[in-house]
Amino acid sequence: MKATFAIVKRLLASNKISFIITALVVLCATSSGDVVLSNGNYTWLLAVMTPFFFVFYDYTKLMHLGASKRDYFFGCLISYGVLALGISLINTLIHLLIDPVYPAQAVINMMDVCKWTENGIIIAGVQQMFFLLLVMIFLHVLLSTQPHWYGWLTDAILVAIICIFTPIAALRGILSVFFQIIMLNGNALLHMGICLLLSAALSFAGLLVLKRKTL
Amino acid sequence: MIALKQVTKQYGQSTVLKNITLSIDEPGIYCLLGRNGAGKTTLLKSVAGYQNITNGTIQVDGKLITTSTLDTGVSYIENFAKHFNLPVRKLLQIASEVNPNYDYEFAYEMMERFELDGKKKFNHLSLGMKTMVSTIICLASNKSVVLLDEPVLGFDAIMRVEFYDMLTESFRKHPRIIIVSTHIIEEIAKTIQKLIILDKGSVRFFDTLQSVETKAFSISGLQKDVEVATQNLNVIGQDTVGGLVTTYIFDNPPEQTASLEIHPLSLQDFFIQMVGHKGGAAR
Repeated sequence: MKATFAIVKRLLASNKISFIITALVVLCATSSGDVVLSNGNYTWLLAVMTPFFFVFYDYTKLMHLGASKRDYFFGCLISYGVLALGISLINTLIHLLIDPVYPAQAVINMMDVCKWTENGIIIAGVQQMFFLLLVMIFLHVLLSTQPHWYGWLTDAILVAIICIFTPIAALRGILSVFFQIIMLNGNALLHMGICLLLSAALSFAGLLVLKRKTL
Repeated sequence: MIALKQVTKQYGQSTVLKNITLSIDEPGIYCLLGRNGAGKTTLLKSVAGYQNITNGTIQVDGKLITTSTLDTGVSYIENFAKHFNLPVRKLLQIASEVNPNYDYEFAYEMMERFELDGKKKFNHLSLGMKTMVSTIICLASNKSVVLLDEPVLGFDAIMRVEFYDMLTESFRKHPRIIIVSTHIIEEIAKTIQKLIILDKGSVRFFDTLQSVETKAFSISGLQKDVEVATQNLNVIGQDTVGGLVTTYIFDNPPEQTASLEIHPLSLQDFFIQMVGHKGGAAR
């Protein structure tokens, strides 16, 4: 476990660029009018950028330092968990402390949009954490597959789903239901359960991809 | 212990490793020799589990090695290995944290001995120094198998001597299987115990250095005399200059006679004869 936590420490430390960009955007983003976007939403940027660094920057270097694939795999999962918790905590705090200070009539925070705040702010924070964990693991797996044919196939399928499902009303309904389950879900237990289940399935897929990864 | 059974590796139509069966049972420093493109890096990477082979099996300490092996127990380093752009001291420390059996004292001592500036960031080091950092990390990992791919590339003469000393010292401290691939043959001869010669994807020779010293000879003389002297011996090569013939053998040398000149082969000459090419010509 010592090696795994050393990898967590390294992964987080080498993710400085993501931290800095996210912090700059959160601090500098401005909006005007009666309806404004909460700066807390931009904390999600960290969840989007992090997998790129873990997959394309850290993996080879950690292997050259003598880390095992097993420790890298668990190190990534723990890091995503830590980051999901941190991002969720900060966005929740921004939503609680900074959003009410805005002079605008309405401040849109994704926690409201996704109906998570219907269950109280603490549950909303936890729901957000599980959702972000799912996003990061999904991106990690997708990025890991890119050097392989099945990665390109997955890209093509995803693009095809978006292109075909969006314009056709019946299919759009299916897409909408999917996003309502994994994202816009007011039922906390169902939402967290689905996110965890999908995260576990994607992690397993990620492990299979890692097992095929060459250097 | 490393056991390769009928290992074949193909890249498209090209076969890089051809049906290699090899067993390395004892701890020791092994030298892997081969011409460019002989398959050395492919072999080392396959043993490290960095890539899959096409056919056959590779086992290290009884564990099957493929890219699926999550913890191989093998430490492999290639030249030009990329590391985090951190100060050398920090890199060695991180390596000690991610490797359970890492010998930090050894790594630190080597850093001092090679006058590596611990505060200097990895990307600011010269090629030789970068390779040295990678090599120190690999040796200090204390894994049961250590594979060093062209570790002396970019080293000056003094660094190379220091490197061979480091290798010997590391092995004395923690006896294990260390395989070093190199092109600088004569220099490493004092350090190694066994020699593996790879030629066109096949193992051409695997034996001790002593066997080279006691069995590799050149026999020169008139063609008729040389042919008689070497007729039942294992001939590995031959040169003809005018009427004078030099035959290279790997066998017990014939009786010394007045018409024959018998000399032991240097490791480099032995290697050249074993891989059977000179000046690009096939023999």
